[in-house]
Amino acid sequence: MDWSGVLDVVQRYILNVANLQGMLRLATPVILAGLCALITDRAGILNIAGEGMILFGAWFAVAGSYFFSSSFAGLFAGILTGLVIGGLFALFSLKFRANIIVMGIAINTFANAATIFLTRAVFHVAGSFSDPKLQGFGPINIPGLQSIPILGPLLSGYTFVVYLTWALVILTAVFLYRTPWGLHLRAVGENPQAAETLGINVGRIRFLAVMASGVFAALAGVYLSLAHLNGFVDLMSAGRGFIGMAVNTFGGGAPLGVFLSSLLFGFTDTIGFRLQAERIIPVYFIQMLPYLVTLAALTFFTVRRQRALKAKIATSHAGD
Amino acid sequence: MLPSYILHAQEINYMALAVEMIGIRKEFPGVVANDNVNLSVEQGEIHALVGENGAGKTTLMNILYGLYRAEAGTIKIRGKEVHIHRNSDAITLGIGMVHQSFKLVPSFTVAENITLGAEPRKFIFTDRNAVRKNVQEISERFGLQVDPDTRIRDLPVGVQQRVEILKALYRNADILILDEPTAVLTPQETRDLFGVVRSLVAKGKTVIFITHKFREVMEISNRVTVMRDGKVVATKETRDTNPAELARMMVGREVLLRVDKEKARPQEAVLQIQNLKVLDNRNLQAVRDVSLEVHKGEILGIAGVEGNGQRELVEAIVGLRPAIKGAIQVKGKEITGLSVRDRRETGISCVPEDRYVRGVALGASIEDNLIVGNYFKEPMSKGQVLNLSKIADFARDMVKKFDVRTPGTTIPAFTLSGGNLQKVVLAREISAEPELLIVAQPTRGLDVGSIEFVHRRIVEARDKGAAVLLVSAELEEVMSLSDRISVIYEGRIVGTIDADLATEEGLGLWMAGVTDHHKPDEIPAAGDQLDIDQKEANLV
Ligand SMILES: Nc1ncnc2c1ncn2[C@@H]1O[C@H](COP(=O)(O)OP(=O)(O)O)[C@@H](O)[C@H]1O
Ligand SMILES: [Mg+2]
Repeated sequence: MDWSGVLDVVQRYILNVANLQGMLRLATPVILAGLCALITDRAGILNIAGEGMILFGAWFAVAGSYFFSSSFAGLFAGILTGLVIGGLFALFSLKFRANIIVMGIAINTFANAATIFLTRAVFHVAGSFSDPKLQGFGPINIPGLQSIPILGPLLSGYTFVVYLTWALVILTAVFLYRTPWGLHLRAVGENPQAAETLGINVGRIRFLAVMASGVFAALAGVYLSLAHLNGFVDLMSAGRGFIGMAVNTFGGGAPLGVFLSSLLFGFTDTIGFRLQAERIIPVYFIQMLPYLVTLAALTFFTVRRQRALKAKIATSHAGD
Repeated sequence: MLPSYILHAQEINYMALAVEMIGIRKEFPGVVANDNVNLSVEQGEIHALVGENGAGKTTLMNILYGLYRAEAGTIKIRGKEVHIHRNSDAITLGIGMVHQSFKLVPSFTVAENITLGAEPRKFIFTDRNAVRKNVQEISERFGLQVDPDTRIRDLPVGVQQRVEILKALYRNADILILDEPTAVLTPQETRDLFGVVRSLVAKGKTVIFITHKFREVMEISNRVTVMRDGKVVATKETRDTNPAELARMMVGREVLLRVDKEKARPQEAVLQIQNLKVLDNRNLQAVRDVSLEVHKGEILGIAGVEGNGQRELVEAIVGLRPAIKGAIQVKGKEITGLSVRDRRETGISCVPEDRYVRGVALGASIEDNLIVGNYFKEPMSKGQVLNLSKIADFARDMVKKFDVRTPGTTIPAFTLSGGNLQKVVLAREISAEPELLIVAQPTRGLDVGSIEFVHRRIVEARDKGAAVLLVSAELEEVMSLSDRISVIYEGRIVGTIDADLATEEGLGLWMAGVTDHHKPDEIPAAGDQLDIDQKEANLV
């Protein structure tokens, strides 16, 4: 058998630097959506509103960038939106005790409709909006690093939001495991009564966690509209809010775990794009790929865990 | 103007009171949990607070600890009137509380749990060295050994409780409230706890000790306050009272502290178990080789220290856990292959040991909980349709017969106290008129009044012709209820004896695994020995 052909295909479609770069780029909004899910999950809140928060963040980032002709104005508009939507979500679900799932669905459906409406009302177009006045984020080349082979292109040349996301992964980990507030947040998530009897303000911590989740999700939106595409497309969040919940579970609720499982998603997404360009496999199948892989990976790890358990049973029997 | 010596006397009196609660009132929807309650606790004493479930003890202490606000009344701490609006006010006043259900974070370490909410900081970070050092220091100062780096979920209950006490001490608690601390402990752990409590008092702390058990009141307390139905019945010097009087004050009538029953008239075997083997959750053999028989009209008691396979044995009989080997027959019919419902249909009823998890659905109504075993049969339903009025009648009837104290039958089960909840379970299981009634730890956490009631019902079921399998970690209970007693140790029945011939010492030896007629092949293998050592290590 001639392996060189296979190797060639592997290198061309799967394992090459361009694909790894694509992986890191496409993983970025998923990482942010994952952090959105993580921060609320660790505080003991089931937040399914990530999807809607991403859409709002994306839309207002475009608006900020368009009207102030600055990508950073877009970024701040996005963050502000995240704080406002997160705050409203927290206010209704935590303070006024509206059912949190219903509230989440409400935000998601409202975001779909509201952003479509706003695009028409403000920009007078339907479906998608892009404009030369819109300032997106350009690649940042890190001098020195850039010229190192492989590592250079892997670490250099991304947009500001990508680097910000990496920093946020580290900061979230430090926050969770090294600061008193992170400890309090985890205590609130695991045993709110324990936290409460020690004088920790459970309500406040949860409120802040939901606001933080709004910021993470909005940043995912900012990435999509100002770094990935340069403009707003209806429903551009494309399920990433929910994928974020999956990578959070998959990553064991840890920031590094979220980062790594998002890479898996980013990688299949990238390969999907490559294959799409080649027109060998139907587009719809390719678009399913990232979701299929996520499912397959979840199944694989569950099965493996059960196998390990069974193996343990077998050894414990041997002792009798 | 009072003469000066009286003033002086009053001052001393004030100084000597650590806690004074006057005219406390607290209502919950439908119940007055505390009604004009007065409690005074002297500095440096161990003050026992006793009362039936639902008497209002926990409520009163939650008010003192700032978790509830009283509607009326005043609180004085060390003679000064205080306003405790929230939990942190109480902590600042030097009040600490160990709750009935622990408030620990399972995935956190011992040190993290103790310092949570008051952790030493360095810049914006947790100072993890200081956390560990502080915990070590406080654990040494009070002689409460803990390993700061172990995670809570890996610790036995007794040690978790120690962590709870340290948590209070770390916040400089002077007045320590222990809410039913012994309910979850083994006798050995209880003894350790008493040692700890005494040494704390020797170091100048004041302890309020809530319990149901008179033996503990008599052993550990200086004074005792009895509550009933939200009111204080009396406060007494412990040496001036006795268990019978305490029981009477608690329940409001004479209570039989022992079970009154006729001699059993056992007939044919109902339950026959041969060479049963069952695994526990960690997939280790919990039941190693059990054979036993229970006859119609008798109570077979299984005594033993908890964790020797009792739970797995019961779960295997009722069908919640597979038997990996052996046979279980009910009235001569093999049931190991049957589903839980099919087993119930052959006449098995079970009062499970964890009534909150297995016994009832906490969110469902009392009605629903009473009919989960027979809702699919006439007269509760016809075809696929429930007969709601029949169900309501049945529930009302059960609530009355079994003396469940509740404002209605449609309210959720979680609103009931432990004793009343157990009566609901008992009503459901006994009203099915079982051939085989299994009762596991039937009176755990219950007050004397309820215990007496539950015991009477179990004996009644026997007299009506049920074969009863009783599993209990309370030796007293097994001895007073059973007709025959088997002792389980490390998943094996080490001995069976007529209840009339059994002595506490003899059973105690069996429970510790000591049998006088060891055959060579019954001597524990090396692996087993290791198990025991580890268990002991855990207790330390
Ligand atoms: N949070 C609550 N909401 C409603 N009722 C309660 C609550 N806590 C206690 N109760 C009721 O108040 C009464 C006293 O309960 P509690 O203080 O827990 O008794 P004890 O600790 O003596 O067993 C009971 O009738 C109980 O059902
Ligand atoms: Mg209580």
